[in-house]
Amino acid sequence: MKCKRCKKPAVVGLPSHHTAFCEECFYVYFTRQVETAIRRQKMFTFDERILVALSGGKDSLTLMLALHELGYDVAGLHIDLGIYESSVRARAKVESFCEQHGLTLQVLEMEAEGLPMPDVKEHINRPVCSVCGKVKRHYFNKIAREGNFDALATGHNLDDEVARLFANTLRWDSGYLSDQGPTLPAAEGFVRKVKPLYRLSEFETANYAFLRGIEIHSDPCPFASGASFTSHKELIGELEHRSPGSKFQFYDGFLKRGREAFKMLEKEVGEELSPCEDCGSPTSVEICGVCRVKRAVRDKKAAAAQ
Amino acid sequence: MIKVRLEPDGKDLEFHGLKTVLGLLNKLGLRPTMALVVRDGGLLTPDIRIKSGDEILVRKVTSAG
Repeated sequence: MKCKRCKKPAVVGLPSHHTAFCEECFYVYFTRQVETAIRRQKMFTFDERILVALSGGKDSLTLMLALHELGYDVAGLHIDLGIYESSVRARAKVESFCEQHGLTLQVLEMEAEGLPMPDVKEHINRPVCSVCGKVKRHYFNKIAREGNFDALATGHNLDDEVARLFANTLRWDSGYLSDQGPTLPAAEGFVRKVKPLYRLSEFETANYAFLRGIEIHSDPCPFASGASFTSHKELIGELEHRSPGSKFQFYDGFLKRGREAFKMLEKEVGEELSPCEDCGSPTSVEICGVCRVKRAVRDKKAAAAQ
Repeated sequence: MIKVRLEPDGKDLEFHGLKTVLGLLNKLGLRPTMALVVRDGGLLTPDIRIKSGDEILVRKVTSAG
């Protein structure tokens, strides 16, 4: 394969774009996709402060580096979930990456918050992945608000977004369909949330991370048990192979022609939010979901110790 | 013989008679955009020829979880 731009030997082939790039031209393509995402979805400006959620995986570290090199004012937030060696290794990768590139990093330990994931797994009778996701979203928003950041950026890529849209569509979950998208504007109690990698596939972010020599944390979570999103990604990957470009068309078509209808529906039936009595985060009940989990873990640990 | 390291599975595999990266990916049941293929530290596109004696890393890109 030859690079479409400069005709040198290609290192990345992209069937969805009927193209291929050499290393240098791939960086140009990748950066332009990020810039287009930020501009078209009105994500943020060069005057704003962006908090980037860093898990240690290829997507979040790639996002952080790309935004930093574009000149945005970024700081990283890593949540140490307290999952034994897995969390130790993930945190080490994030700390080393930020040190290497001179990037600001804040680490929040779930152990100190009374919510280490092993305790959640032991004491809460719900799928731990679901609670973990909820806890992370809660603290990302809380830290972004407390730090007066203008936006919270996550490394969700096109495959993540399409898998989530596919799952939400299978259930016709109007609540989730009403607010899925690359930019979720700030609302009472919620910071603006943005996904600048939404135009780029997992394959593209993996290539970028590899070529840039980013050391990533790639071990599967010891608590994950073949999440449904992974099987959805495989199905969608097969569809993309047979019909290149269909992933982006599905997602972009939803943004342009589907989401607004669900937004209007949710305006009619959506629940009113008020501050959580414990932590002040927005919730539709008196105590937010994360504070209820925190209370349950604390009570059950105390009962088990007696 | 072509030696293949499959990540993140951590498996070491050996193949005979393969001619291209695409052939290797087909053998592994992977589509070209489902994995990075690396030889001597460089990325390979599906059309690149491989030969006996090559040591190749195949890194699946889908994050688990």
